[in-house]
Amino acid sequence: MITVTINGKKITLEKQVTVLEAARSAGIKIPTLCHHETLEAFGGCRLCLVEIEKIPKLQTSCTIYITDGMVVHSETERVVNARKAMLEFLLINHPLDCPYCDKAGECDLQDLAAKYGPTTGRFAEGKRTHPESYDDPVIVRNMERCISCTRCVRMCDKVQGASAISMVNRTSKTFVEPFSGKRYDCEYCGNCLSVCPVGAIMSRMYKHKYRPWYIDKNINTICSYCGVGCSVTAQVKGDSLVRVVPEMGKGLNKGLLCVRGRFGYDYVNSSARLKTPLIRRNGELQQVTWSEAFKYAADRLRDIKERYGSEAIAGIAGGRCANEDIYIFQKFIRGVLGSNNIDSIANFSYAPAQRFFERIFGQGVTANSIQGISNSDGIFVVGGDPTSINPILGLQIRAAYQQGIPVITVGDTPGLKRFATCMLKPNPFTETALLVSLLSELKVKKQFLGGNSSFERLINNISALSMKEVEDICGLPTDNIASAVNMLSNMTNPSIVIGKDILQRTDGHINLLLLSAIMYLINGRVYLLSEFPNEQGLVDMGCLPDMLPGGRPIEIESFKKRYEEIVGLNISSTHGLSLSGIIENAYTGKIKAIQIIGENVLSNIPDSNYVGKAFSNLELLIVQDSLMTETAGLAHVVLPSLSWLERKGSYTNLERRMQFMGKAVEGDGLEDWRIISEISKMLSFDMGYKGLEDILSEIARVSPLHKDITYNDISGDECIWPYKGEPLRHGVSLEGMDVPDIGSLLKKPAKDRVYAVFDKELFHPDSLSRKSAAISSISPEPCSRVNRALADRLSVSEGDYLNISTDAGSIEMAVKIDEDIPENVVMIPNNFEGKGIFNIMQWKLNPVLKCPVLDGNEVKLKKAEARS
Amino acid sequence: MTIKGLAKKIFLIEILKGMALTLKMMFTHAVTRQYPEEKREPFPGFRGLHALVRKEDGTARCVGCGLCAAICPSQCIHVYTSEGVSHEKIVDRYEIEVSRCVYCAFCVEACPFRAVVLTDHFEYAAYTRDDLYMGKEKLLSNWDRFMAGKKGNEYFEKFWHPLSSDFSASGNQAIFKKINSEG
Repeated sequence: MITVTINGKKITLEKQVTVLEAARSAGIKIPTLCHHETLEAFGGCRLCLVEIEKIPKLQTSCTIYITDGMVVHSETERVVNARKAMLEFLLINHPLDCPYCDKAGECDLQDLAAKYGPTTGRFAEGKRTHPESYDDPVIVRNMERCISCTRCVRMCDKVQGASAISMVNRTSKTFVEPFSGKRYDCEYCGNCLSVCPVGAIMSRMYKHKYRPWYIDKNINTICSYCGVGCSVTAQVKGDSLVRVVPEMGKGLNKGLLCVRGRFGYDYVNSSARLKTPLIRRNGELQQVTWSEAFKYAADRLRDIKERYGSEAIAGIAGGRCANEDIYIFQKFIRGVLGSNNIDSIANFSYAPAQRFFERIFGQGVTANSIQGISNSDGIFVVGGDPTSINPILGLQIRAAYQQGIPVITVGDTPGLKRFATCMLKPNPFTETALLVSLLSELKVKKQFLGGNSSFERLINNISALSMKEVEDICGLPTDNIASAVNMLSNMTNPSIVIGKDILQRTDGHINLLLLSAIMYLINGRVYLLSEFPNEQGLVDMGCLPDMLPGGRPIEIESFKKRYEEIVGLNISSTHGLSLSGIIENAYTGKIKAIQIIGENVLSNIPDSNYVGKAFSNLELLIVQDSLMTETAGLAHVVLPSLSWLERKGSYTNLERRMQFMGKAVEGDGLEDWRIISEISKMLSFDMGYKGLEDILSEIARVSPLHKDITYNDISGDECIWPYKGEPLRHGVSLEGMDVPDIGSLLKKPAKDRVYAVFDKELFHPDSLSRKSAAISSISPEPCSRVNRALADRLSVSEGDYLNISTDAGSIEMAVKIDEDIPENVVMIPNNFEGKGIFNIMQWKLNPVLKCPVLDGNEVKLKKAEARS
Repeated sequence: MTIKGLAKKIFLIEILKGMALTLKMMFTHAVTRQYPEEKREPFPGFRGLHALVRKEDGTARCVGCGLCAAICPSQCIHVYTSEGVSHEKIVDRYEIEVSRCVYCAFCVEACPFRAVVLTDHFEYAAYTRDDLYMGKEKLLSNWDRFMAGKKGNEYFEKFWHPLSSDFSASGNQAIFKKINSEG
C-alpha cells in the first residue's frame, strides 16, 4: 500500500503508478499535452509539472512514480507560473489562427492557454512558416501548428506499428512528416490524427465544414466494416452527419480505428444509394411506390410458391444486416414461404469452421476476447492477414510481438512482416503439407502417445511427413520449420488465428482437421477471422440451411417445436440448400426465386460469371440493399433498405459480443425487417412487430443463447452471449471424419506455371468500400502484386498494366511489385466491379465444406497495351 | 352626499378643471413626436438591425469561425462553411433570424475580426417572417446602407473594442496575413 497526498487529498493505491495516474484516479486534473493513455510516458511538454515536497525542482508528473508519504501540490502559484511559461514557449511558433482552425473548440492547447494564459508573448521573433500540405487525399498536415508532442509518431511506431511518420529537423524547426515528404505510404489508420492535441494533423473529410460546438448529437454505434465491431461515435448537426469519430479508450478498440472505420463511413452519402423501390418492367428497372413494390413482390412469391412449391424459393442473407433483420428474414423464408433454403456468405468458411471445431471440441465459436490475444504466450496465424481482414485484432498481434511474444505466420501476411518471429511462406497451395509436417514434428516434441479418446486416435493415425519432403514440396528450409515447431511446442496458452483462405482450398477440410490436431496438441485458443460485422449473427440467428436461431440443428425435434409455437408457424424439417446449392440449383433452373438482403452476392462469390448466369435464370430475384450493386442490377424487384447510421439494431462480433448500433440520421428506405414484414402481411401473415423491442424479445424467447436478453444488456459494456442463455450443447461425434490421405499431398506445384491468389486487401476488402469516396481516393483502382523476377520476365514495371487471363475470362489490372511473394504467384484482389479475381475463376467447391475453392487457378499473364 | 359634493356635480367643477388644464397646455411645447413624419436620431451605440462588414474588396470580412453563433443566447445565428478550391474556408451561408434576436450584441463582442455589427437602423418591420430571416447578401447590403464609409469604423472604435486590435501577433502567420494587410 502506498499513500500519497495530492492537493491535501490522501490517496491510497496498491500499485506503484505515476503521480499523474494517481491524481487522475482521485479525480484531480493535471493538464497534459504529450501524455496519452494509450502511449508510453514521454515527458516532453512539461505541462504536467507538479511541486513535490522535499524535491527542490518541479517534476513532470507523467514520469515520476509515487512513493509512500509523498506530498504533491498540482496547482500552486509556482506550478501555474511554470505552466504559463511553457505555454508561452509553445506559442512562439503556434499560429493564432483559431478562427480558421477546425480544431478550435476541442484543442488541448487552446483550452490550456485559456486556463493559464499567457495573453501576450514576449518573443519578438517571427513565427515559423510551413505551407499546409494537401499532398494526401484524406489527411491534411499543417505543421505551423505542430507543437512536437510526438504523440502521432509514438502512436504510429508503438501502437499501430506502421512507423510511417517521423519527426524531421531539430529545435524550433521540428515537424512531423511521412517519409515520402508528401503522401502517406501507410495503412491510413488515421490514429495519428485522433491523438493530435492541436490542429496539425487533421482529416480532410470534414475540413472547414463544422465547428465542434455545432454538434447537436453524439450517437454511439458500431463500425460496419468487419467482424471486430469497433465502437465509433457519429456526430450529427441538425439532420446531417458531420463526422464519425472514435472515442479514446472506449469500446473494445479502445478508440483505435483502421482506415475503413475512420474514413470509410461516407458510403452512407454515396450517389449509389437507392432511394425508391424499383421493379423490372420490359427489361428495365423502373421506379414504383412502396405499396406497388410490396404487392408485386408478394404476388410473384405467392405465384412461384403455388406453381413450383416452396422448395423453389431461397433466401440469402448478408453479413451487414442487423440481428433483428436476419432473424425476421429466416422466419419469413422458413415459416411464411415454407422453405429451408436459407443461407448466407457466412456458410462459405466461417460457419463450417465453427461447426468443424464444435464437433471436435464441443465449442467452435471464438470463445476468447480480442484483447486476450496479447495475454497469450504465443500466436499462430494461418490463412490470412489479420491486419487487413480484422485490423484492430491485428493490432493485438503486433502489440504482443512488441512484448516479446513469439508470432508464427503461415502464408502471405504482409501486415505482420515486421511483427513475426517466424514467417513460413510455403509454395502456393501447399499449406496442407506444411501443416502435416508441423503436426508430425509436434507429436514427437510433445511426446504424444495418443489413444485416450477418439480424437487422439484420429491424430495418431495421421501419417507423418518428414521435414525433408516438406522442404521439397513447400520450398521452405528445414531450419525454418524446425524453429517454428520449437516455438509452438514451448507455448502453453497460445492464440491460433485462423483466416478464410486456409479453408477455401480443395483440401480445406483436411486443413481444418490438421489445425484442430495442432490446436489440441498445443492447447490453443481459436480466433476465427470474420469479414462482416454480423457474420456471427448470421450463424446465431439461424441464417443457415440446417440451423434454427440459437445455433440449434433443425433436427432437434423439441427445439423445433418450441420455435414453431413461439413464432406461430410451421416449418419444414428437411435441411435446405446451402448457398452453393442455391446457386447451383438456380443455374440448373430448380430454384425459381431468390430473395437477397444486404449482400452483393454477384461480386463476393467466385465465380461471378457463373453466379450471374444462375441469377439471370431466375423468375424472381428480390434484392433489398441500401446501395445499387451488381446483384441489384440483375434483380426484378429492388427494395431500398436503410443503411448503417440510419437505423437501430444490434451486431454480434466475432467474439460473440452483442453491440448496439444507434441511429444518427434519417434516410430513404425502410429497415429490412419492416420490408419483410410488409411483404409477409401481403402474403396473409401479419408479423405484427411494432418495433425492434418486439423482435428482440421474440429472439430472447426463441434462441436459448439469447435468453432474456434486452437492449439494456446490449447497450452495456459487456454483452457476450450466452449472456443469460444456455450455451451450445449438442451431440459431439467424430463419425465420418476421415484420416486424410497424406500421399495425395506430395504433389509439387509446377514451377513454370503462374497461379492467381486472392489478395484480401486492407482498403477494399469487398464491394462496399468502393462506394466510399475517401477510401477510393486512397486506393482508386485494383492493383495486382507480382514478384520482381516475374515482373522482369514479363517486362512490366510498377504502374504498368497486366493482362491476366484464364479459361473463364480475362481482366486488366495495374501492377505493383512485391518482393515478399513467391515467384509463381500473382496476387489479385476482388473489389472493383468486373475487375476482380472472382471474375476469372471457375465454379469449384470443396466437397466437404461446400465452400468455393480458390486454389489451383492457373493464369496466363502478359503486358497490357499502353493506356492513354 | 354632502352639499359640497352636490354643488360640484351640478356645476360640473371637475370638467371645468380639466378644460382649464387643456387650455393651459395649448400654450406649451409638444412632448410627443409625430412619428413617422418626425424621426428621432438614435443614441450613439444603439443596437439595431444586424449587418455583416464588407471589406474594401467587396467581400465579407467574416471568416466563419462561428463564435457569434456559439455565444448567441437565443441561438439565432447560423453559419455554414465549406472548403474552397484552394483549401480556404468559405462562408457559404451566414444567417440571422432577426425576429428571435434579443439585441445583446454578444456576437459583436465575440467576433475576433469585427465582422458583424448591430447598426443604428431600427425600422425594419415586415409583413412576413421570411423578410426577417436574413442571409449573407442581405446582411452585407445592410452594411452598405447603414454603416458605409467612416461610420462603420467609428462605430467599432467607439463602442466595441474587439480583441483583434490587441493582438501583437506578427504578420507572417497564416491567418493574420490577410487581416493585417487590410489595415
